This record gives sequence, structure tokens and C-alpha cells, in this order.
Amino acid sequence: MARSVPVRKALVAAVAVLLVIFGAVAGAGAQSKGGVLRVGNLGEPPSLDAHWTTASITETLTNHIYEGLYSLDSSNKPIPMLAEGVSVSKDGLVYTFKLRQGVKFHNGKEMTSEDVIPSLARWGKQSPYGKALFAQVADWKALDKYTVEMKLKEKSAIVLISLAVPSNFGAIYPKEIAEKFPPEVKATEYIGTGPFKLAEWKPDQYIRMVRFDEYKSRAEKPNGYGGGKTAYVDEIRWVPVPEVATRVAQVETGELDFADDLNLDSYDRLKKNPNAHPIVSKPYYWLVAVMNKKEGLMTNQKLRQAWQAAIDIEPIMKNVAGGKPEFYRMDSSLAPVEITAWHTKLAGLPWNEHNKDKAKRLLKESGYKGEPIRFMTTQEYKWMYDFALLTKQQLEDVGFNIDLQVVDWATLVKRRNNSKEYDVFTTGMGAFYDPTHHIYLTAGWPGWTTDEDILKLQSDLARETDPKKRMALWEQQTRQFYEKVPVIRYGDLFGLRAARNTLKGFNDKTERVRFYNVWLEK
Amino acid sequence: MGPYLLRRLAAIVPVLAVVVTIVFLLIHLIPGDPVSVMLGPDATPGQIEATRKGLGLDRPIYEQLVGFYGRILRGDLGQSYFLDRPVSQALWERAEPTMVLMLSALVVAIAIGVPSGTVAAACRGSAWDRGLMLISLLGVCIPGFWLSLNFIYFFAVRLGWLPAAGYVSVLTDPAGALRYMVLPAFSLGFNQSALIARISRSCMLEVLQQDYIRTARAKGLSHRAVTWVHAFRNALVPVVTVIGITTAVLIGGAVVTEIVFNIPGLGRLIISAILRRDYPVVQGVVLVTATAYVLINLGVDLLYAMIDPRIRYD
Amino acid sequence: MTEAAVDVLASAAAAGAPAMRPRWLRRLLANRSVVTGALILVAFVLAAVLAGTLSTHNPTRLEPASRLQPPSARHFLGTDEFGRDVWSLVLYGSRVSLLVGVTTMVLTSVGGIAVGLVAGFSRRLDTVVMRVMDGLMAFPAILLAIALMAVRGPGVWNVIFALSVVYMPRTAMLIRSTVLSIRELDYVQAARALGREDAGIAARHILPNCVGPLLVQGSFVFAYAILAEAILGFLGVGVPPYVPSWGNVIASGKNVIREAFWVSLFPGVALTLAGLSLNLLGDGLRDLLDPRLRVQ
Repeated sequence: MARSVPVRKALVAAVAVLLVIFGAVAGAGAQSKGGVLRVGNLGEPPSLDAHWTTASITETLTNHIYEGLYSLDSSNKPIPMLAEGVSVSKDGLVYTFKLRQGVKFHNGKEMTSEDVIPSLARWGKQSPYGKALFAQVADWKALDKYTVEMKLKEKSAIVLISLAVPSNFGAIYPKEIAEKFPPEVKATEYIGTGPFKLAEWKPDQYIRMVRFDEYKSRAEKPNGYGGGKTAYVDEIRWVPVPEVATRVAQVETGELDFADDLNLDSYDRLKKNPNAHPIVSKPYYWLVAVMNKKEGLMTNQKLRQAWQAAIDIEPIMKNVAGGKPEFYRMDSSLAPVEITAWHTKLAGLPWNEHNKDKAKRLLKESGYKGEPIRFMTTQEYKWMYDFALLTKQQLEDVGFNIDLQVVDWATLVKRRNNSKEYDVFTTGMGAFYDPTHHIYLTAGWPGWTTDEDILKLQSDLARETDPKKRMALWEQQTRQFYEKVPVIRYGDLFGLRAARNTLKGFNDKTERVRFYNVWLEK
Repeated sequence: MGPYLLRRLAAIVPVLAVVVTIVFLLIHLIPGDPVSVMLGPDATPGQIEATRKGLGLDRPIYEQLVGFYGRILRGDLGQSYFLDRPVSQALWERAEPTMVLMLSALVVAIAIGVPSGTVAAACRGSAWDRGLMLISLLGVCIPGFWLSLNFIYFFAVRLGWLPAAGYVSVLTDPAGALRYMVLPAFSLGFNQSALIARISRSCMLEVLQQDYIRTARAKGLSHRAVTWVHAFRNALVPVVTVIGITTAVLIGGAVVTEIVFNIPGLGRLIISAILRRDYPVVQGVVLVTATAYVLINLGVDLLYAMIDPRIRYD
Repeated sequence: MTEAAVDVLASAAAAGAPAMRPRWLRRLLANRSVVTGALILVAFVLAAVLAGTLSTHNPTRLEPASRLQPPSARHFLGTDEFGRDVWSLVLYGSRVSLLVGVTTMVLTSVGGIAVGLVAGFSRRLDTVVMRVMDGLMAFPAILLAIALMAVRGPGVWNVIFALSVVYMPRTAMLIRSTVLSIRELDYVQAARALGREDAGIAARHILPNCVGPLLVQGSFVFAYAILAEAILGFLGVGVPPYVPSWGNVIASGKNVIREAFWVSLFPGVALTLAGLSLNLLGDGLRDLLDPRLRVQ
């Protein structure tokens, strides 16, 4: 029997009202699509070619437009991204990767195995992570359109992690681009599979990335750097603002929505601001002075040990951290605390000894005659200049003669490739997810660590698959590091970021920033 | 007017030739090999050779100079090594902010300078006169970049009235553009207003002594009418000349102002180019600004000639 | 005219000079601008020379524990982000400024005299020299200085070289016009007719007349040079950043301007005062010598 019309009408009305209420309640916390997200960078990236450089600004930018086969989850373990999954043969020598289907590049083309092979080959020739992996690889082959097979020469512990690392990563380019640009040459065409695509790059003015509407997101929830990615904002505008005081001021006044690499003195002020808030990023960098071990004064191991013995790290870190203890951490481990799998707690290491007598003795034993040591740094990363200047004073107090050369970052990155141009340079190391990724322990990266014992342990680490045995090797390597001193390790520095309160969904647990899954509240 | 114009044009040709030559020489003052410095140490020998050929550095210097002239006359300013695009394009993209900044600063300088100088002259010897001249003296001595920092500190940081830095194009958002331009234009313009004030004052004083002014006064015209109607117009002529000079100084001052206020103009470009060893861009900026200065001076001369016919028969 | 007559004229001119001097000096001292300017300048010179005694700390000594402290009894003008004493930095910074200022002034004067004399005396070279000077003056001073620093690299002597190149043309033009005007004077014509060499004429008649304008021009060049050095330092293309100079200190203070405004404040005040003293000196001298003389 049909319901009477008035009752039916009432029911429909009730349902409609309930839907509206429900929708409003649900909508209150929901993501809103649209808007332009303005981010302040500290400068121009040397390139947007992900294979070409380890520079962290390039890492941050390229991870919005490109993707690799794997990515890292919230506990820094590899999870599939462009790959569907992998099956490994019993002897551990053959990895068969199945690719996801229907993934489009920004130019409309579908990503297939014929794009993966040349992209990874190019990456393998240029990136230290790629080179480390490819040293163990015998062959890559495309089995069919969506399957790629990798044959190893020996068992390896680092296959998935190498493909998952976000810095200088194995981004998948279209075949045409991967083959057009040789590895040492910067690619100048930027087509990827990521949730954003490059719309415009005006050097010194901005880099504009817009939402890629045909982006095929993974079904899972966002997980660390991986999982599902949604581009809520219409556009990300990366604006270079080299003056750090200006960068933070612009977030406070609302001209920027986000800024990174801020000086720690601004923390208190940001806390008080009603429209913006500070974000402390841990880890950020650990500070290092890299020694030129190919030629020049610092090939002398005793001299390097003298430097290590002389420096008093805590006052340096405190000054670099703006006087705030919350912003630095004294630690001798080569992997920071947040990388729980590889953090070491070894005692008796000659780190932070600040022993002037020992330093002077080592200086004498090294045969150093007071020649000027060319120490290259930059003011663009303020903390680099800060620790360089403080180090110079400490070292000169024990008898070193330091020639501090202040250049811009782009020049430093260029010059550090030439062994004739410097003796020591400053930089910061980000988090490495695997012991074999510590680039300063390789022969190919500037500084050129060619010590046989160190290199042998690194290749052992690449082959050994048992986690406990790997940790033992790693601890051994750490002790060796402090004896041979390929670089000088200072302390851990935390970073300061600032965001407007209208910026929602930001994952502050990842080491570097990502703006997918992020929206602007209206 | 015609012959005067031709004469003046003929006179600037050799000056421009000297300018181009100096710009050419800049790259040869670099200690060591400019190409290696430009491309960096990881450049392959092949790249170095190609660049050397492209810049023509493998040919004798006389040939290079002639080649350089040829390229300049064709409008080819070379290729930027960092930006991967022609220098002329890089300059063109950044011309607008610099021009807007200079014009705004000029407006500020004239708006402050001319009335101050005029009032000071009209009330000669009074407290007004001394006060205004003291302020203008300070204006000459206060470093522009320091003034910019102080302005940012007071008006943007403490009071929050104006943005601390940045640039918005007039074409996209006129109101916003104005807000962003206020502090930069004032810190740049204040310096120059001082010079304009002093010259306005001395020119006004000279004019005020003239016979026809006394006649006008004798005729019973009010003090104010005399000042503004007669004296002002005639005092304007030398002021126009000063504006020409001011523009040249503004070009230089714009460099620093752009850095402090993060304005993406030619000044920021030359500093970035220097830091990156992008010498073609450095040459391009220097060439364009010097040429602009010469042309502006020419314009001022012509303006002067139009106002005062006696000049033409010089 | 006979040689004797010329000599009489010359000796009369020379004789007139000693009698003039006390009056000239009196006029100098009576001019408020000159006196004020000179006094402030002397104060700066003393500060620079006695920087060692007057400063309370080593300006390059980093003391991280006392960073960003406001002015106090221990640190008169506060400390910067590395704990360096601002008072000592300003004192030592005056050395760089004064060194650059004086040397640039001397070099531009010497260079200007050389070029100006050549241009004034030789009709043929005059046109060429004039054009070259015009060409050099077409470049905005700071821009040319920056470009020169770019090619030469950092360092105080490169700064001096760059600034001397930039400011020399104006002095040269000044000398040249003095030469041209004096050359036409009767007694100089007479001397030439009598076979006196140009060099002698230059030395006896022209150069003494240049002293006044040179001093005026020199004060302004000094002022421009000090300011230009600070700008170059501020932009990071002057002396290396850890060398105490007013521009460098202002630049380092720029990053902490909200937390420690004193770091940028005091060197800026010093710069302003130094510029003020030189401008007053220049203005006063110009008024004394010739009120109509417009120097650019």
C-alpha cells in the first residue's frame, strides 16, 4: 500500500535535512580544493633534474613532479610507489618488478618499462645512490610492458632502499628525455608522473607547479613520503627569498604561506604570532667539514685528526642554534636518532674531545708548517658560515692557519668537484636511510674518500643481508670513521619552518617538506 | 631644433662606442681564464672549447672587439650560462620592476625636493629654510640601504603598516603594487630629494633676485603669486637638468634597494649574476644601464633645448 | 711684453699670496660648515688611528656565549650574533673606511690631474680623452664598481681600484676645465709666447689654481668612496665578510634586525656622520672658493 503523500514528503524533507546537517558537519573539517600555495625558498635550485644533484632544494622540488619505483613510509622503510610490487628469486639475485598500469606522464604518455630502464640507467651513472646499487647489478631488462627484471652480481641488502631514497633519486622520466640528456648534463625538460607538473620557471622570480589532473594516486592512505597523494591546491608557487629575515617576515605578514630554513632566532616571535606558527624539523642537518683527500694539505691524516681533536663542538652548535638548546643535539652517531635502525651509541670515540694539547701534538706530528688551509663556505646557508667562522677561530688558537673563502652556494657546489680549488668545505648531511648511502664514505663524492678499509666495509654492508650482522659492521665502520677522519662531524642541528595557520594537512614528521595532501583553509 | 638634435645625436655616438668598449674589456680583466671560471671546474674540455668559440675568445682581441660591436648592434647580448636563455631575454623579464622602482623614487624625490627647495628659498634665512636644508643635508649623507633597513624595521616589523619586502606588478594588482612600492620608493627617493631640494632652492633664489620678479612685486602681486607663478616656472629649467643626473644615481641606488626589498629587477639580477659568475649577464646589465643613462641625458638636453631656445644656438 | 714685465707680474702675484694667507685662513675658520666638518673628520681619524686603544675588545674575537647583547657597560654598543663587540667593530671599521676613502681620493686626484692636464694641453688628445671620460661617467658609479669587483674578486685593494676608476673621470674633467680657463689668461699666454714650457706653466700657474677645486672635489669623492665601500660590503662584493667594516657589520645586523637592532644601527650612524663631515667640509670649501662652482 502506498504511503500517503504528506508522510512521504515529510520523510524526504527529513532525509534532506539530515543530509545537509551531515554534510555540514563532515565538511567542517574537510579539505578544500584550490588556491595558490606560496612557499619561500632560500634560493634557486641548481637544477630540476632529479638525477643530477644531491642538493636538498632540488630534492624537495623534484619530489612533487617526479616519482620513483619505491618510496619511504613513515618509519623510513621502502614501500612501492610506481612499482606494484616485487618478487625476489630464492637465491636473492633476481628481482622482478611489476609496474602499475595506467600511470600517465605529464605529457599524456603512459609510463611503461621502456621508460623505466633508461631512466634508472641514467640515474645509475650520476647519482651516488644509483652508482652504489648499479655496482652490484649485472643487468636490467624489460620483460614486458609492465614488468622489469633486475639481475644482481651478488646478494644485496640495498636494492629497495636505493630505489626508495628521495634525494637524488631514481625518478622515472619518459624514455625520450632520459635518452636525450647524458647523465652529466642537466636535463632541461621536466616531465614526470607526480601529482604536480611544472608550469613555469622564472629564475629568481618563482617556480610554478600546477596540479596534474590525470595523476593516478595510490589507493592507500598517505604514509610518510608514499601512499596516496592528493594535490588539493591548484598551484604551488616556490619563491626564492634569499634574505632569511625577509622570508620569515613574509610568513608573518601573510605574503607567504610557508617558509623553510629560517634562522632560529625567529622562533620566539613566531610562537607569539596569532596567524602563523613555527615548526621544528628534526632531523635537519648534521654539520660536517669535508676534507679534500685527493690532493693538498688535508691528504695528511694526522692533520685531519688534529682538526678533529681541536674543536669544541658544543659552543659552536649553541651559537648556530641561536643560543637555544632545543635546537641542537650533541651526538657522535653517524645516523641521527630519528633513523632508529642505524643509530649507534658507542663510547670512547675521539669526537668532541676539544683537547688542545692533543691537537697541538698531532699538528706537530703531521709536519704542518703553517701553510694556509683553504676552507670554503657560504653565507647562503647561514649555519654553514657560522660554524666555519667559529671553527676558524678555534683552530687558529691551536696553530692552524685558515684561509676562509666565502662564496655563494652555487659556486661552492661547482668548486667542490675540483680537487685543486679547496682543502675543506662546509656542508650539512641529511638523514641517510641506509649505511651504504653515506655519500661521504664513497670515492665518487667530493672529498674523495679512497681509504681501502672504509671502502671495503661499505661493500660488505652492501652485500650482507642479515640486519644484526649489518649493525655490527656499521659500528665497526663508525669507529673507523673517527680514526681515519674522512670528514669532521659536528653536532645535529634542527631546523625552523614557519607556516600560516590556514595551511592544513602538513606532515611535519618527514625530513623534507611535501605539499601534496596539503590544503589551504578558506 | 632639427640641427641641434642631429648634433647631439652625433655627439653621443662616440660615447656609446666607449661604453661598449669598456663593457667588452670587463671580461678581459678577469684574472685567469674567464671561461673556466664561468663554466666551473666540472666542465669538460669540449664544453670549454665550445664556449670559448661561442664567445669568440679564440680570436685575436681586435677581431673580438669588432665582433662584439657587431653582435651588440644586432641586439645580441649573448647567452646566460646559469639561466640557459639569451641575456636580452633575462634583462627584458626584469626591466619592469626596476623601471617602476626608479619612476616611483623619482616621483617621491621631486615631490619632496621641489617644494622643500622652493619653500626654503621663499622663506630664506628663516627657521624653515635652515630646518629644511638640514634635513636635506642629512638626506645626502644617510646611506640609502641603511635607511631601507630602518624603514623596514619601523613600518613593516614594528608597526605592520606595510609589507617588508616583495614586488607585485602594477599590471596584475595596482593597489597591491602601490603598497609594496611605498617603502622602497621612499628610501630610494629620499636620498635624491635632498639634492633636488638644494638645487631648487639655489635656482629659486637666483630667480627671485631677478628684475621681473621685483617688477611683479612692485605691481602689487602677492608674495605667493610671485613665488609660484613666476619664479617657480623659471626655476624649473635647471631642475630638469638635475633630474637627468638624479636618474643616473637612481639606477645605481636601485641595485641596493632591490636587494633589501627582494624586488626581482635588474639590480638583483646583476648581483646574482656576479655570485654565479654569469659574466654575459653582468655585461648585459652594465651595458643597458649605461646606454639608458646616455639616452636619458640626451632626452634631458633636448627637453632643456625646447624650454630654453638660447641653448640651441650654442 | 718684455720678460721683465712678466716677471714683475709673476712676482706681484706671488707677493700677493703671503699677504692673502692669513685672511684666507681667517675666512676658512669663520665658515661654520668647514669647521664642523673638519672637527668631525678629525674625530674619525683619531678613532681610526687609536682604534687599538679605544676599543674594549678584539673586534674579530668571536664569543658565542655573549651573542646579541644590548648595549651595556661591558659592551658599549652591544654585541652581534657571534658575540663580537659592536663598539670595537665600528672603531676598526673606520680604518677600512678611511683607508678606502683617503686612498681613493688621492688616486683619483693624481689620476685626474694627469688626465686633465693632458686633455687640457693637447687639442688632439682632448677629444679622445673627453669621450672616454664621458663613456666612463655614463656608468652609474655603484654599478661599475660592482662589475669591477665581480671581475677582480674581493679584497680591499680591489675595492680601492674599482672606486678610483669610477671617480677619476669627474676629477679629470674638473682639472681639464681649470686648465682650459687658465690657459686663456693673459699672463699665461704671455709666458707661452716667451717660450716657457707647458710643464712650467702647469706647475706655476695651473696647479695652484686647482688646489681649491681639488680639495672640494676630494671631499666629495672621499664621502662617495666611504659610502660605496659600505654598499659593496653590504652586498657581499667588498672586503671579505669577516673583516670589520661598516658595510659588513650592517649586513650581518640585517639578519637579526628584530632581535638586535643595535648591530645595524651604530655603524649606520657612523657612516652618516662620516659622510656628513665630508659633505660639510666640501660644501664649506666650495662656498669659500667660488659659490658658483658646481661640482658633480
